[in-house]
Amino acid sequence: MVIDLFWFVLLPILFAVFSYLIYPKKGLILVLFFQFLLFYLAVCNFLEVKANGTRLEILGGYPQGIGISLKSDLVSAVLIMLVIFLFTNMILFNYHKDYVNYLFRLLYLILEGLICALFLSNDLFNIFVLVEVSTIIVSILIIFKKYSQSIYDGIIYLFSNLIAASFFLFGIGILYRYFGVLDISLLTEAVSRFDNPPALFLPFAMIITGLSLKSAVMPLFSWLPKAHGTPSAPSIVSAILSGIYIKCGLFIFVRVSAIFHGVIDVGQIFIVMGALTAVVGFIFALSQTDIKLILAYHTVSQVGLMMLGLSLGTEYAYYGAFYHLINHAVFKSTLFLTAGIMIEEYHTRNLYEIKGLWQKQPLVALATLVSILGITGAPLFNGSYSKYLIEKGGLHLPFFDVLMLIINLGTIVSFVKYSSVLKKDNSQQRVPLRFNQSIVILTLAAVTFLGGLFGPYLSSFFFGISKPIYASDYLIKLGVYLLSIAVCYLFYRFFYHKIALFKKIRQIELSFNEIVLSMFIFFCGMYFYLIVFGG
Amino acid sequence: MGMIIAFILFFIAIYGLIARRNIIKAIIAFGIMESAIILYFLGAHHERNAVPPLLLGQIAEGTAIADPLPQALMITSIVIGVSVTAVGLTMFISLYYHYGTTNWLKVAIKRKEEK
Repeated sequence: MVIDLFWFVLLPILFAVFSYLIYPKKGLILVLFFQFLLFYLAVCNFLEVKANGTRLEILGGYPQGIGISLKSDLVSAVLIMLVIFLFTNMILFNYHKDYVNYLFRLLYLILEGLICALFLSNDLFNIFVLVEVSTIIVSILIIFKKYSQSIYDGIIYLFSNLIAASFFLFGIGILYRYFGVLDISLLTEAVSRFDNPPALFLPFAMIITGLSLKSAVMPLFSWLPKAHGTPSAPSIVSAILSGIYIKCGLFIFVRVSAIFHGVIDVGQIFIVMGALTAVVGFIFALSQTDIKLILAYHTVSQVGLMMLGLSLGTEYAYYGAFYHLINHAVFKSTLFLTAGIMIEEYHTRNLYEIKGLWQKQPLVALATLVSILGITGAPLFNGSYSKYLIEKGGLHLPFFDVLMLIINLGTIVSFVKYSSVLKKDNSQQRVPLRFNQSIVILTLAAVTFLGGLFGPYLSSFFFGISKPIYASDYLIKLGVYLLSIAVCYLFYRFFYHKIALFKKIRQIELSFNEIVLSMFIFFCGMYFYLIVFGG
Repeated sequence: MGMIIAFILFFIAIYGLIARRNIIKAIIAFGIMESAIILYFLGAHHERNAVPPLLLGQIAEGTAIADPLPQALMITSIVIGVSVTAVGLTMFISLYYHYGTTNWLKVAIKRKEEK
């Protein structure tokens, strides 16, 4: 059954309002039923797109350019399935908690609809509206448990993202002045026929500044750990933010840079920025001792990796980055959920005080281990296949494999550090895990494993692209992986504690004024780069 | 002209956000930013003597008709701006109850001490 695209936006919101009437802890079956139905519809949509190509739909029966248009290509169809899959898991994971009340479920389901809308939207002004609304909802969810520290994190998140959205809107305004349309398909045509590319530098720089903050690229990521790692955000909110919401920025970035393709060529600077983001992200992650902050900074690093893949310009790297996006959504949300369980059990967020997870909760430890293997790119796990695709897509650049190796080494070191939660500690008592939570983390861990085992099949099924891996490749990768683990373990054991730099980095925290200043510097830098090298 | 003023206003707002440490002033600067964008959009396709796109039958041939889209967009933008300011102020009030200061830096320092 194929439904119109706007239902993917409207259904969750309508259902959110409807579920506001039901007592939250009673309505679980109904919500799950609704989520499964929505997932089924998303699968149908995906099969339709796969069979008949991109779906474009204009609301209200107006001609294109006047009505709001929604577009579902292969990537967005896959991402919608992912969004609904993750939200279903999250709702099942936490339905028994005290804070899951009427308001929480309302906001959470509305956020689901908004994220779907962001992936479908084909109109720049519409994207702006969706970004603003989802920013407000996310900032309320961040401060939901009302701990006092989180109110500062929430306000920083809200303000910096609103300013980013203003930059974005101003850029759109300039584009509108030149072309008179805001529909992405029409804009792409109009831009390719435009005869004065330097006039587009200013709007491009403004839009990219906004989107770079949204997707937490190199100098503009300081809001992200505050938002994703704040103590008061429930773990399912952190998981959704880090797993899928941050990717909206990347996805819009891809769509916007497609508009300017051929007129403004900035692929190179984004390759550099992606690489820098990836490296700086893991250095910051390595210096933290708070488990949620380690995961949050690590998201920055992985976003850099995806940005790198998306800007390389080859098909393998492009779809590899999207496959990595899906994988990252799965294992990062598993890690956030398990971190949430750990924080509840140990009553601390300090990494060094958490030990003996195997003895306390073997299932949680198993899921953590599987996701760590996934994120560090162990052979047969999903991270390895998507990193392999990105690496294959960038081989035309000099030293690209070295760069990938460095990024991967950084990831491994920070997760060698993180894996100290698995250390043996016999004094811990076994604590039973709730049934719904174990189902969710086992499902996600299984997806992490299967996504790697069947990586080539899945990527060809989703995106029509695959690079077969042979047994000999696996052996080489296994060798490299084991060697990297050994190197990283030695580094962590013997050198890490002696480097004072990490302690200094831990103290770095930008104030709000500095965040806006870095945004402004980024904008100026982008604009001057375009004037000097662009066009 | 309107567009140049819009640019100037936008960067004044940016200056306010960078250089002022008062949270209320940051919210005001955000409002200035919002109005700069609205001014820009409305000025973008402005023509002198253009008539509103109403009563199509009664407009003489050759009369310029104003572009209605920016107005529709900006109404949305104004509504969003109002709600965003409201959320920002609400959050500021509860921040003020917690920390008792309107200064970004002092709030950041107190937040650090809390850990």
